[in-house]
Amino acid sequence: MRNSILALLALLALLAVEIGVSFIPFNPTARPLILIPALVMLGVIVSAFMQVGRGPVTVRLFAAAGALWLLILLALGSLDPLTRVAYPIRARD
Amino acid sequence: MNETFLPHEFQYASAEHQSQTAISGMWLFLASEMLFFGVLFLSWIFCRHWNPVGFDVGGGQTEMILGTINSVLLLTSSATYTAGTRCIEAGNARGLIAFCVITALLGLTFLGVKFGLEWHGDLDKHLFPGPDFAIQGAARAGAQLFFVFYFVSTGLHGLHMVAGIGLVAWILWRARRGDFSAAYSTPVSVVGLYWSFVDMVWVVLYPLIYLVGRSP
Amino acid sequence: MNATALQDVPPPRETQESYLQDGFSLRSWLLTTDHKRIAILYLASITAFFFIGGSAAALVRYNLLVPQGMIHSAETYNRLFTMHGVVMVWFFLVPAVPVTLGNFVVPLMLGARDLAFPKLNLFSWYLFILGGIVVLYSLFTGGVDTGWTFYTPLTTAYSKGHVVATVVGIFIAGFSSIATGLNFIVTIHRLRAPGLTWFRLPVFLWSLYATSVILVLATPVLAMTLLLLAFERIFHIGVFDPAFGGDPLLFQHLFWFYSHPAVYIMILPGFGIVSEIIPAFSRKPLFGYSFVVWASIGIAVISFLVWGHHMFVAGTSLLSALVFSILSYMVAVPSAIKVFNWIGTMHKGYIHFDAPMLYALGFIGLFTMGGLTGLFVAALAADVHLTQTYFVVAHFHYVMVGGMVSAFFAGLHYWWPKITGRMYPEMWGRAGALTIFIGFHLTFFPQFILGYLGMPRRYHAYPPEFQVLNVLSSAGTTILAAGYLLPLAYLTWSLLRGERAPANPWEATGLEWKTPSPPPTHNFTVTPMVDSAPYSYPTPGSRHRHE
Repeated sequence: MRNSILALLALLALLAVEIGVSFIPFNPTARPLILIPALVMLGVIVSAFMQVGRGPVTVRLFAAAGALWLLILLALGSLDPLTRVAYPIRARD
Repeated sequence: MNETFLPHEFQYASAEHQSQTAISGMWLFLASEMLFFGVLFLSWIFCRHWNPVGFDVGGGQTEMILGTINSVLLLTSSATYTAGTRCIEAGNARGLIAFCVITALLGLTFLGVKFGLEWHGDLDKHLFPGPDFAIQGAARAGAQLFFVFYFVSTGLHGLHMVAGIGLVAWILWRARRGDFSAAYSTPVSVVGLYWSFVDMVWVVLYPLIYLVGRSP
Repeated sequence: MNATALQDVPPPRETQESYLQDGFSLRSWLLTTDHKRIAILYLASITAFFFIGGSAAALVRYNLLVPQGMIHSAETYNRLFTMHGVVMVWFFLVPAVPVTLGNFVVPLMLGARDLAFPKLNLFSWYLFILGGIVVLYSLFTGGVDTGWTFYTPLTTAYSKGHVVATVVGIFIAGFSSIATGLNFIVTIHRLRAPGLTWFRLPVFLWSLYATSVILVLATPVLAMTLLLLAFERIFHIGVFDPAFGGDPLLFQHLFWFYSHPAVYIMILPGFGIVSEIIPAFSRKPLFGYSFVVWASIGIAVISFLVWGHHMFVAGTSLLSALVFSILSYMVAVPSAIKVFNWIGTMHKGYIHFDAPMLYALGFIGLFTMGGLTGLFVAALAADVHLTQTYFVVAHFHYVMVGGMVSAFFAGLHYWWPKITGRMYPEMWGRAGALTIFIGFHLTFFPQFILGYLGMPRRYHAYPPEFQVLNVLSSAGTTILAAGYLLPLAYLTWSLLRGERAPANPWEATGLEWKTPSPPPTHNFTVTPMVDSAPYSYPTPGSRHRHE
């Protein structure tokens, strides 16, 4: 019970940090860094509420696999758009 | 060793064996859900990359107050459901019932705020993608794509919430029937995993929707 | 340690009553949670889909007998090859081995009484049937002309076919896949018999584990992608449309993120089957067991890193294309390792050319050719010439049909005595294997040449100089079809008249052979204990003592 309250307070604090950070003027390309507090919040939820540390080893294995594969999708998937060269179209007269 | 016999399915060695297997199974299902929502996150990356200005213009039109209220509601609901799980693990069925009620109410309030207030407001402001989309000009393409992402992701998240509230209600019903005790509360934990996961999806959606596009 | 001793279940009412005799009503089959009965339900279903997809292929090859196309309508031709692809990929190749042989054999091989979630297993069959009905409805009321790859903008803006209905059917069937994969992974982790440690697992189980990882993690991406495709088509959301700021390549990336690993879903179980059969029919332990295991895991992981090789000419960045090309070469390595291990197993073994072994040997040859030709198309420069030609068509049919279908038949024949309690007629089995091997080469080898010479795929007509090779290919399909109809005939015959099978007709290792043929409903009345390495075939004079 106490742990749930502490975890909730941590989450609300992180939410406040996240909102606060969003007021800092980053340039648009760097603005997704606002997600960093969100990632910490995910860590709190997974450990305090979902108790990923308790239970058999398969729990941690499956959680890690999901996270790793999501990372593969996002990282290798973004590689193409982020490195595409937009060749200028020559206007026809 | 004195151990009360707990019933379990025939393919398992003990109730504990079955319980841990059920929990593992839910985690694996959640791993698949991570990939399911991951598609939307990759789409966000593509759409924002190709339309950086318009996308953030769209992002600036979101209702941050309502979104933040919803975040608080959902985070609290995860805490209350977890508290309920701890109650039944200590043998306190009435605590579980009370916390289930609170969790379900928080969830319903979330849905009310999201679909009753926020979507309603967005539709009134003509932010639904279509011919009479509110933002015109150069930013239109990006802003419209932002709202496509917004409606699709919050809609799918909402459907998952509805399923979650249904599951919490089911747990509530079973708890009132006296199905759970300190020795047996696996379904409670399994539903809790799902509920917290839906919360996690919102934790990622919240900055993508309300914060990134909101330049100061 | 997860393997804890099972309590001994009291024996069934009549001793050794098999699972086939445990209830004769329709209800006892349609509401069964017995993994063995569910496997039979699936077997009937995928056989039906195989013949539907095969009929579409027959019509495609019929059309290609003459340069102007026997079926004069390009539109109809497009619908035929789409039907062939959709049905064969999602309703035959992806499910086939896992849901039939996998469902039947996995608990037996583990020494378990059922899968971890038997009701989920039954539910997965109903999802499969529902998805199948939706797709068949769509295909038989006019179909789709987009190809099984559903590329935008054809699917979202121009096609007049039943796109939404088809993708809805596939969406539903996808959840059936996820359920099966989830069940297998959890079962293999949690329901192993005492003493059955990870490195004593038969390779078939490792292969299904690897397959299931892909099923669980790749299929959800397909599900969401098809959902977005449907939204784009119906609501014009614009996420794939450049006119709205979207990117058509986003669809391709998302589609292939699933569909490339999907081909490993199709082939990994085949690797597993061959890894069971080669040792059994060479009377030797599997050569390099741990290499084969790590290769399976390696394939499952690397398979997720290569999808961009389907998009080399689509307009992705050069850097991304290079990265995907290099990774595609890497994924070939573990497959090659397995081939060497199978050959090493046969070396100095005592080889029996029973039907399962003939199919397995056919697999090795056909898969190797298909795999090697994959390396051609993985090279960026070569792919510019070969992509969208018959070379690619031949490549994937060599691995999918030559490889996967041969492996499926190998496994079906190998475990047929266990599943049905009957032996199939051995001579007919060998005849079938040879017919398929010959018919297959005749059908698909000419297609490598056609592709190299530049004949494009998915065209209903072609230049006259390609006719001879096309006629050869179409002629081959008649032999291939005979090769598929033969097992259908003699396996069905064996159900009624086949010789009764003993518990272990092949004298193979593995816990599944310790049960009667066919097994009782609860598989094991006494929990088996495992204390030795897998494939411990005693071979006199062999230098390879495993572990």
